[in-house]
Amino acid sequence: MGEFTLFEMLRIPTYDNEDYATTGRVTIDLEKCNGCGLCAKVCPGKALYVAGEGKDRKAHMHADFPQCMSCNDCAAICERDAIFVSVPYFFPFFFKTQGKGEFSPPRKF
Amino acid sequence: MDDELSTELREMDDELDEMLEGEDLAPPQGDDWNPVEKVILERRSVRKYKDKQVPESVVRRILEAGRFAPSAGNCQPWKFIVVRDPELIDEMERDARRMCRLFRFFMDWRTSPLGYWIPWLLAQTYIRLLHHELHPIPMGAVFAISEGNLSLFHGAPTVVFILEDFRGVSKPKVDIGCCGQNMVLAAHSMGLGTCWVGTIKLLTFTPKWRRRLGVKFPYKFCEAVTIGYPVGHPDGMIPRETVETDWYEDGRKRTTF
Repeated sequence: MGEFTLFEMLRIPTYDNEDYATTGRVTIDLEKCNGCGLCAKVCPGKALYVAGEGKDRKAHMHADFPQCMSCNDCAAICERDAIFVSVPYFFPFFFKTQGKGEFSPPRKF
Repeated sequence: MDDELSTELREMDDELDEMLEGEDLAPPQGDDWNPVEKVILERRSVRKYKDKQVPESVVRRILEAGRFAPSAGNCQPWKFIVVRDPELIDEMERDARRMCRLFRFFMDWRTSPLGYWIPWLLAQTYIRLLHHELHPIPMGAVFAISEGNLSLFHGAPTVVFILEDFRGVSKPKVDIGCCGQNMVLAAHSMGLGTCWVGTIKLLTFTPKWRRRLGVKFPYKFCEAVTIGYPVGHPDGMIPRETVETDWYEDGRKRTTF
């Protein structure tokens, strides 16, 4: 991640540019998913949708710039542990992430 | 009366002392989470609620937890407004949506009828002045609200507005945060779901809701918390990024994650 340069401090990215901004990404285990749609209901960015009929009814993430802020609400509500965030959101320049490590569940010390 | 109360308090204090006597409060290494830690670690923002209203006694209990939050100089710079009328909540949602549309008219260079450059310049100017409010994440929320994909209060039956006393000591906004977090944790410990709604800022650009809810000097809108029974079981432990922490100890520095 590193330090900020003056250019980075002054450069504020725009919201729509997919070349710069990386939204969060979820990984969905399609074998475990039963298409109940709870994750799509609670997603604050409405980045998930449920598609398919019968046994093929599964949750998917919008392919085109999903507004995922890697909050993991979908992982918390899923009763089958079929979904989790694998990529955190990242905006470059002024809004870049600093001082954060890997994803980790609550640890006992 | 006073005597009775003080005797009662002393008795409670004695009982507590007896309970803790001879016990080391620090848990052994690797011990399981205690109930308070569990509530803190499992709390998730809830954005889908059941239609069922929360009983008044429970809301009163939650407000009581907020009342005992720490504040700078014990100034307690808060006041609460509880809104439980679905019509009132709906009207707020409509107004927020209207405000989002207005916002997009001036700021969203992709869809604005003003063309590309005027909204782009406005956005670039205001994002430098209000980089918290115009961060890409709340902007995404504003776009979603204006399109009707996201609602302001997520269909919650009860909304608690936390008003900030303008004259609070030091940093009143931090005290509001403590107060709200107390309420949120208390609510989750009772099986309720909550969500912080900072987007109520959208309602404060016009005097309408200030007048309607009687918000006068020295109070102003700060935050809102929605309370309701969640759909499904959203509370649970999830992975989250670790935080870089510097330790200065024994004359040297080390960093942990």
